[in-house]
Amino acid sequence: MRSLFRRYRELIFVGLLLGAPFGVFFAKAKKGHELNLLDRGLLLLTAPAERAIVGAVGFTVDVWHGYVALRGVRESNLELRRELIRVRAEAETALELRGENDRLKRLLDFGDKQVATRLLAATVIAVGASPHSHMLRIARGADDGVIKGAPVISPDGVVGTVAQVTSSYADVQLITSPLAAVPALSERTRSRSTVKGTGDLTRCKLEYAVRSDDLHDGDLLITAPAPGFFPKGLRIGTIANLVRHPTGMFLTGDVLPAVNFERLDEVLVVLEQLPPPLEPAAAARLPPPPEVAP
Amino acid sequence: MSLRSLLVVLVCIVASVLEAVVPHLFHLRSARADLLLSVVLYCALHDDIVEGAALSATAGYLSDLTSATPACLYTFLAVVTFVVVRTVGGPLKTDGGIQSAAVAFAASLVHSVVAMLLFSFVANGSEGLVWQPGPLLWSALGTALAAPMVFAVLRRIDASFLPATTDAPGGLR
Repeated sequence: MRSLFRRYRELIFVGLLLGAPFGVFFAKAKKGHELNLLDRGLLLLTAPAERAIVGAVGFTVDVWHGYVALRGVRESNLELRRELIRVRAEAETALELRGENDRLKRLLDFGDKQVATRLLAATVIAVGASPHSHMLRIARGADDGVIKGAPVISPDGVVGTVAQVTSSYADVQLITSPLAAVPALSERTRSRSTVKGTGDLTRCKLEYAVRSDDLHDGDLLITAPAPGFFPKGLRIGTIANLVRHPTGMFLTGDVLPAVNFERLDEVLVVLEQLPPPLEPAAAARLPPPPEVAP
Repeated sequence: MSLRSLLVVLVCIVASVLEAVVPHLFHLRSARADLLLSVVLYCALHDDIVEGAALSATAGYLSDLTSATPACLYTFLAVVTFVVVRTVGGPLKTDGGIQSAAVAFAASLVHSVVAMLLFSFVANGSEGLVWQPGPLLWSALGTALAAPMVFAVLRRIDASFLPATTDAPGGLR
């Protein structure tokens, strides 16, 4: 037995190295990946290095841009003054429109039901290297309050959700990942659908949009309110290549993401969605808060 | 674990940091070099089976850590790549830069296609998955360009562990 083992030692070893990861892959493929102690240790080793490299390059680029910008500062100053005059005029118009909007809102008794959120800014320090990897690594982790599954957004729209968290870093799975799906709402028609990742960074897939819905190419999709998901009303992307089949329940088409994932340097992590503020009448019915002893 | 293996693991860690940071800094969408795959190829062509397979698994594990893909997908693929290249790679020459690049290009393409197949299994079939030959080709090209550099670093490590040659007595060889 021992001689047999010795004879096939290499074969057994390679077989084990093939079998063990294959078993883990099939067992956990659809359950998500929890980081173990070794994973966390290695991420603690590599993530600060990634952060340092990105920081050093960013600093160098900033210094360079600062120097180059000084060369045309006078022309830039004149241009900015002209811009300021134009923006002031626009701001005055916007103020008038805002006042008008407020009046109309009051008239229609339209309360703003948008759920307040607590956001955390995070710097992107790395991306997944493989073409099948739809991941960003951010320099925020559990110590900052980031939890697994937390929505991640940018000023342009929805980015993805947190897939893995260590104490100081987190990996974000993009909405373009084939494992991602986001409940969506058409901004124009308010009809619901689902945006599913395809593995392509430049487009997602439109799913479960009912055929009778009045959707068209170019329609903007925003996040639909769903518990534990993205805050309502964020841009997901625009519909393209919409096909209305003669049979079947649903429309098919692509969704072009609102966010350019290649140019993301900073993102916002949604830490929690705060409950909406109470109406003044409801707040008045509440008992007074207990007094705090000095 | 030998000192040489430790150094190769260190190279793997540095490679994983670089392949995660460089595409971000240069906003590369597709032409992402798979440096860890180059390490696996080198191990398959130069190491003994046990050490090479273990180092390949380590490289795959580091790929898994930076990819947020299902657990152990790249670990499994790295060992498969090692076994396949080891089996068919006898006649392959990787002494020159162009030869190394050619081997890395072909291996990267095969590696990516198998990864896509396994990934489509996880994504509930290939219905929602987009097959993109473009990014795969660009990635293979990036890997091919980077492979000669990775091979050179690993060759340098190996050279420092070679026993010093001694001249035969009397100066005759």
